[in-house]
Amino acid sequence: MPEATFLDATELVLNMGPQHPSTHGVLRVILKLDGEKVNGTECVIGYLHRGVEKIGENRTYQMFAPYVDRMDYVAAVSNGLGYCLAVEKLLNVEAAPRAQVTRVILTELNRIASHLLWLGTHALDIGALTPVFYTFREREEILNIFEKYCGARLTTHSFRIGGLQYELYDGFEDDVKAFCKAALPKMDEYEELLTANRIWVSRLTGVGVLNAEDCKAYGVTGPMLRAAGVKWDIRKALPYSGYEKYDFEIPTRQDGDTFDRYIVRMQEMRQSVRIIRQAVEDIPSGPIMAKVPKVIKPPVGEVYVSIEAPKGELGYFIVSDGSTQPYRVRVRPPSFVNLQALDRMAKGALIADVVAIIGTIDIVLGEVDR
Amino acid sequence: MADEQKPQPKPPAAAAGHAAPKPPAVMATTPWESDLTSQLKEHFGEQILECLSYLGQEFLIAKPEAVIPILDYLKLDADFDYLVDVTAADYPNRPERFDLIYVLYSFSRNQRIRVKTRIPDGFKPQTAVTVHATANWLEREVFDMFGIEFAGHPDMKRILLPEDWQGYPLRKDYGIIQQDERWVKENLGIDSAQ
Amino acid sequence: MRKLLRTIFLVDLLQGLWVTFRYQHPKHIYTEQYPAQRPKVAERYRGAPRLNINPDNGETLCISCNLCALACPENLIVVGWERDEQTKRKVLTTFTYDTSRCMFCGLCEDACPVDALELTQDFELASYTREGAIWDRQLLEEGPRPTKYRF
Repeated sequence: MPEATFLDATELVLNMGPQHPSTHGVLRVILKLDGEKVNGTECVIGYLHRGVEKIGENRTYQMFAPYVDRMDYVAAVSNGLGYCLAVEKLLNVEAAPRAQVTRVILTELNRIASHLLWLGTHALDIGALTPVFYTFREREEILNIFEKYCGARLTTHSFRIGGLQYELYDGFEDDVKAFCKAALPKMDEYEELLTANRIWVSRLTGVGVLNAEDCKAYGVTGPMLRAAGVKWDIRKALPYSGYEKYDFEIPTRQDGDTFDRYIVRMQEMRQSVRIIRQAVEDIPSGPIMAKVPKVIKPPVGEVYVSIEAPKGELGYFIVSDGSTQPYRVRVRPPSFVNLQALDRMAKGALIADVVAIIGTIDIVLGEVDR
Repeated sequence: MADEQKPQPKPPAAAAGHAAPKPPAVMATTPWESDLTSQLKEHFGEQILECLSYLGQEFLIAKPEAVIPILDYLKLDADFDYLVDVTAADYPNRPERFDLIYVLYSFSRNQRIRVKTRIPDGFKPQTAVTVHATANWLEREVFDMFGIEFAGHPDMKRILLPEDWQGYPLRKDYGIIQQDERWVKENLGIDSAQ
Repeated sequence: MRKLLRTIFLVDLLQGLWVTFRYQHPKHIYTEQYPAQRPKVAERYRGAPRLNINPDNGETLCISCNLCALACPENLIVVGWERDEQTKRKVLTTFTYDTSRCMFCGLCEDACPVDALELTQDFELASYTREGAIWDRQLLEEGPRPTKYRF
C-alpha cells in the first residue's frame, strides 16, 4: 500500500486551542477540516475543572453555597437558587414567601444579565463590535443592584438555605423598577442594531441547525430547545419558588438555527422584565428566613431538583447520609450537555460558523468543567 | 458546635459508627404504585427490584443487566425521551459499591423518574448511548470520576481530567489532599502550589 | 421595489450606524477614570476584612469565640486567645486571616456574634508577595488605606 504523504491528505486537523478569544473560556476544539469546511469536531474540556463535586462532600451544606456560585459565574444567582431549593427539598421546608418573591426578582434579573452578556460576546465573536459595550453597560446596572443587595457583583452568594440572609435594602423596589423602565428601550436598541442587519442575518440563518428530535436526543435544554420548536420551560412545567403566580410566555421559534436562538433569547429578556414587574408590585412582608435549624442535618435520602437556569436545565442531585455534610452532590450542568451537540451542529459548516455555533450554545466553561 | 462543624473529611460510615447499637438510618421511602410501574413489572418481572418514592420523587431500582432494556422500553413505550443525567455514587462499605443513577424525563407526561442500579467494582455496565445520544459525555464523566467503564461506548476516555491522570477522584478512598501533586511534578516539573 | 432600494442604499446598515452615532454625545460617556476616581461601592460590599475596635475604650470587640473560623469554608482564619487570670474571660492575642485563599463569601461576617469581624468596602488587596496576603491582627485592625494618587 503506498504511503500517504501530506500532499495526498485532504483533511487538515486544526486546533482551536484553549486560549482563544472566541471560545468563551478555556475550551479546546479540534477541527477536522477539508479546506474551510468542517468534517468533524472534537471538544477537549476540563481545563477549568476544580472538583466542585468532591469539595461538596467535604463541606457542610451552608459552607458549600459559595462554591456553587463559581460554576456558572456569569449567572451566579441561579446556581445558588438551585442549590438552596435542593437542600430545602431535602429538609422538606419551603422558603418564606417574602424570600420566594425576592428570589424570583433576583433570578430574573440574573437571567437578563446572563443573556446580555451572551448577546454582547456572541455579537463580538461574529464581528459586531458595538453591542458588547451597550450590553455590558446595562449589565452594570443589574450588577449594581446585586452589589447593593448582597455585597458582591458576580459571585453573589445571595440566597441561604431557607430564605435570605439580608433584608432588602431601602430603595430596592425603586432601583428594580427604574431598571425595568430603562431596559425595554435598550432592548429595542439592540434589536435595531442587529435584527434587521443583513450581515447579521446572513451570518446566523441556517447555521447550526438542531431540530427538535436531535435536541431531545442530545438532552439539550434551554433556549436551544425552545428555538427548535419545543415549548418547554421548567418554570412552567415544574414550577418552583412561586413562578406559578406570574404570567409570562415561553418564546419559541421553528427552525432551530442560530438566528432563532438569538430571537428566543431576546424575547426571553423581555419576558423576564415582565415577570420582574409583576413580582416587584407586591413583595409580601414577613420573615425572610424559614424555620431551619442552625446545623443542617437532613434525613437520609436523595433528591433531584432542577431549575431553569439561563443556559438550560440546571439540576442538583444531592444524596444525604444524615450528617452535616452531603454525601454526594451532583450538578447537572446545562452547558456541558448542550456542548455535546456541537459536533452535530458543526458538521458541514465553515470555520467561521463554528465560532457562531459555540457562541450560540451559550457555554460558560466554569459550568462545563465544574 | 465545634464537633459538628469540623472541616476535616468524615468517612461516611461514621454516621453508623457513632450509633453502634442503633441500625444505620435509611431513606424513609414509600412504595410507588402506578400504571407505569405495573407495566414495567409486567414486562420485566423479576429484574425490577423495587419501585419507591421519596419526597414525591419516584425512582425504581433494577438489576444491572436490565437497565438498558428498561431505558429502551421507557423511551419507546412510555415516552421518556429525555435522559436528564447519568451519575453515580460510591458506597465503599457495600459489596455492590456503586449506585448508578439515570434520571429520565417525559415531555408528554411531565414526569421525572430515576432508574437506579447497584453495581460492584469492576463491573462494566452496558452503555446507554444507543438509546439516548446524550449519554456519551455523561458516561465519560462517570468513568472519569468513578472508574466505571461502560461496555460499547464509542469513546471511553477521560473527559475532565488529563488522559494520564491516575485515580478516580469521586471515589471515597481518593484523598482530598492528594490533588494534583503527582501530575504537576511529572508534567510541569515544579511543585504543586497547593 | 422598496426592498430593492433598501438593499442598494444599505438602509439596514445605516440604521444600526445611526444608533452608534447617537452615542457620540459626551453625555453618554460611561468610563470611570480609575484611579483618580474610585468607584463608590455599596455599603454591604464584601471586601477586605477588618477587626473592629470598641470606640469608647479602644479595645478590640472580638471575644475569641472562634465562630468565624468554624464558619469559614476554606479554614483560613486562625484565632489565638488566652484566658485572662482575673476575669476568667478569653482575651484575643493573635488573629490571622489569609486573604489569598479567601472567597469573600461573607460567612465569617455573618457568623460573628458581636460584629467584630466585618468585610469593608476596600477592594484593593494587591500585594507583592504571597506572604503579604496573610494579614495579622494589626493589619486587620487598621482597616483599608487606599493609596492616594496625585496627578
